[in-house]
Parts: sequence; structure tokens; C-alpha cells
Amino acid sequence: MKKIVFALLLLLSVKSAMAQKDSLSFDEHNKYIYYHVVEQPGLTVDTFQNRMQYLLKAVYPKNKINQGGTPGSISGSGKFLILTGITAAKHVDGEMSYSFYIEYKDQKYRYWLTDFVFTPYKVDRYGNSVPEQGLDVPLEQGAAKLEKNQFSSYLTKTAIYSIQFGGDVKKYMMKISATPAEDDKKKVNVTKDW
Amino acid sequence: MKKKVLLLLLAASAFSYASKAQDTVKTTADAPLVLYGSVDTYYKDDFSGHANIPTSFASDNNSISIGMVDLGLKKTVGNASFVGELSFGPRSDESIPTSGYHIQNLYVSYNLTPKLNATAGYMSTFIGYEVISPTGNFNYSTSYLFTSGPFQNAGFKLTYTFSDKVSLMAGIFNDQWNVYTSEHDVSTFGAQLTITPNKNWTAYLNVASGPTSGTIGDLTTAYQITPAFKLGLNAADFTPAHGGGGYDGAALYPQYAISKVVTLGLRAEYFEAKLPTGVTGTTPAVTEFTLTANVKAGPLTFIPEVRLDSWNEQKYSSFTDSSGNPSTSAEQFVLAAVYAF
Repeated sequence: MKKIVFALLLLLSVKSAMAQKDSLSFDEHNKYIYYHVVEQPGLTVDTFQNRMQYLLKAVYPKNKINQGGTPGSISGSGKFLILTGITAAKHVDGEMSYSFYIEYKDQKYRYWLTDFVFTPYKVDRYGNSVPEQGLDVPLEQGAAKLEKNQFSSYLTKTAIYSIQFGGDVKKYMMKISATPAEDDKKKVNVTKDW
Repeated sequence: MKKKVLLLLLAASAFSYASKAQDTVKTTADAPLVLYGSVDTYYKDDFSGHANIPTSFASDNNSISIGMVDLGLKKTVGNASFVGELSFGPRSDESIPTSGYHIQNLYVSYNLTPKLNATAGYMSTFIGYEVISPTGNFNYSTSYLFTSGPFQNAGFKLTYTFSDKVSLMAGIFNDQWNVYTSEHDVSTFGAQLTITPNKNWTAYLNVASGPTSGTIGDLTTAYQITPAFKLGLNAADFTPAHGGGGYDGAALYPQYAISKVVTLGLRAEYFEAKLPTGVTGTTPAVTEFTLTANVKAGPLTFIPEVRLDSWNEQKYSSFTDSSGNPSTSAEQFVLAAVYAF
């Protein structure tokens, strides 16, 4: 029994430590960044390119990809909604836009998210949640321009999103085939044989 | 005892995982079921001691009174959306001429293509700068242009987005404004050209015209010139379908944020009523200045404002002073509190 209790305590403490460790940090320009380098030998630049393009198409179809990038690198921009409130009925506080970069070389790849900018939303006359014009807040200025609770919440949600994004990058980089095999054969149950 | 500790730990662990599962963010623009709305209350003191200024809402004098509770639900799944917004209270009753109804917005919408949207139902009007919901206005009292114009239009509209800078809405609406059911037919044509010269500036050119509702042309624009300074403008001209008359006017809305919680704003409005066909003489005109502050405390906004209205001639004014004598001018103070969610 003691061992089970100890194991559960350990599990809880490790989970908490991981959540605190894997988060946003500041880069050399004093901007928030989510940055990771991952070892992955055996990839060609073409495979990397193929897998990342498939990831962005399948999981982040609304992200914009910068054209004319160098081989072995993909960059672009995206955004996600900042929602608050109870699970059943959310309120849209705004959106967070970001830039993403994924690069591959020398049997390893790195990815980072940065340029986080919060745009507050308002409810327009039709009930739609729409961006408030001209009130963008770079995340670095959030402490000064947003209320304390708001800023803390948006920072946490940005970190969670970044961790999700990073998880997706790792998952799709590990995929043997980025393009799912299509099975055109129609499955037929032959009922006369049983 | 050990079992209890174990159960507690298991519960804590499960709660931890459940919390993590809920604490996620959407990776697409689609939102789940969204709840929104507001609650507002106010105190008004007309300096004459009785209510004078006739524009919409906040009509009770020397009374702590209520506006309305506004409750909206919306959901988007793929290309299909709905909005249902209900309201209750004096502000709602004054905005909806049909008794017993409590609907501000009720419509369905579908993206036929990424650039073409179709919407049908009962919607807040596309005309004008100010709206019924107190969360959509900077000033708590409303303008003469707002009070005289449409509040809502029921109809069917198509909106085509040409680019990030230009879109066009065109639709057919019920023969009268602010009605859930048409009197005779669906004969008001409406259109809105939206121009966004840059991401901080949007202008709307609106028209609604029909054999019953008359014709209204409207320009509404807002420009966030700096993060602290915003300038809005509304100008409109209305001609009824029969008998002449109507109105025109313009209102300017400069606003300046002096801190992250306090913004000061002025509404300066000129409004004139056109004379009916065959009537000559001076045109009735009123000028109003409203100085308003928005003080934010989280989702709650306190709105103190002072307003001065002045008619050009005594014969057009319904104002009376503290002694009950006719007056061309009226002044009032309002303190409102609006909670938005």
C-alpha cells in the first residue's frame, strides 16, 4: 500500500514539474518564445518538408505558410482563440496570433513559436465576436496593458497551445508516412458464406 | 484510513487530468457554444428636476433604474452558424415595438463559399453607429440619429468578401423597420459597402430603401488613429416614403484612453428634422454634446456622463426648466454600470 501511495505522489509531482518546466521563455530580443531542439537522425530534407507540410495541412489548415523559404525550413503564422468561462458555454476574449518556424539540419530539427500578439474581441451588433481594431497587445507588453488576471490567463493558454503545437510537430516528424495510404477498395461482406 | 488516502490521491490525480483536458485551446477559428450578454443599470438626474431629453433608453429621472438583461447564445459548426439573443427589461421593451417579444437577434447563417455568406432572420440593423446593447456604445445615452433610425431589420442578405479591404452586403428585408412580421411584403432593399483602408480603420456606406419604409442613406466609420485615440463619425439622411419630412444629421465621436482603465469621450451631434412637403420656415434642429467616461473594472464598466441638448428655436423644443417654463436647452447627468460577459 505504501508503495502505491508513494508512486501516486511521485506521479503527481512529476506531472506538476513537467508543466512548469515546459513553458514559454524569453529569447535574446526579450520576446516570448517557445523553443525546442529535437534529435532525429535519418531524415532527408524532402521527408522533413513533406511531413511538416502534411502536419500544417492536416492539423493547422488555417495557418499561413511563408512562401520562398529555404529547403529544410518552414515558417509562417497562425492564431488561436482565447476562450474563457465554463466548459459548456465559452466567452471569446480575443485571439493570439503568432509566428512559427521549423528547421531541419544535421540529423536534428528545431521549432519555435514567437511574435505573440493578443487582439481583444468585442461582440458586434449581430452577436458576432470580432477583433477590436487597433488595440493589438504584444504579449511582452501584456503586463502593462492587460489586467493582471487576464495577462496570467493568456500567458498560460499561450503556453498550453505552444506545447500542443510542439507535440504535433514531434508526432508528425515521427510518422513513417506523412501521407495516409488511401484504401480505395470497397469493403464487402459476403453474406452467403458464413 | 490507507484506503481513504488512496482514494483521495486517485481522485486528485483524476481531477488533475480532467483539469488538463479542459484547459486546452482551440486550434481553429471555430468556437464552441458561446454565451454572451450584459446587464445594465443607471441613475439619471436632469438638471431641471424632471426628464427632458427624449432620446432612447435611460428615461427615468431621479431614480436608480434598470436597463435590460441581454442573453445571447451562438454556435458555429463548419460553415453553419446561429445566433439567438434574448433581452428583458425597460431598455429591451423600448427597443422592441412588438409587445411580448424579447428577441434582439435571431438568425441563421451559412458560408456558401469562403467569400460568400448567406444570412436570414431578425438582425440588428446594419444602419448607424450606435446600437441597442449598452456594451456596443461608448455613451450610455443615445443620439437623435440612433433614436430616429432603424433598430432592427428582418430579412435575407448575402455578403461577399472581395478582399481584406472590401466587402459588400445586399439583401431584401421586411417592408418596415423593427418588426418581426412584415406588414405587407418583403420590399425593403438594403446594402452595405464595407471598406477597410487599413486594419485600424473601417467605413460602412449603407442604404435601405423601400416603398413603405422610405429611404435612408448612412455613413458610419471608426478610426483607431493611435492605441489611445479613436475617432468615429456617423452621418445619415432619411426620407419617408410619402409626405416629405424625414431627417438628416451627423455625429462625431472622439475618444481618448487616459489609462488602461479610463477612457474619455465626447459625442457632438447635429440633427435636423426636414419639413413636410409644402411647409416652409426654419428647419427644426438640435445640437447635443455628451461628455462620457468609461471606467473599466474587469467586465464591469462605470459610465458617468454629462449631456447638453439645445434646440435652435423655442417652438420646436419640448424642454422645460425647473420652474416648468419652456426652454430651448436641457442638461442631464447619468451614472450607469454595465456588466458584459
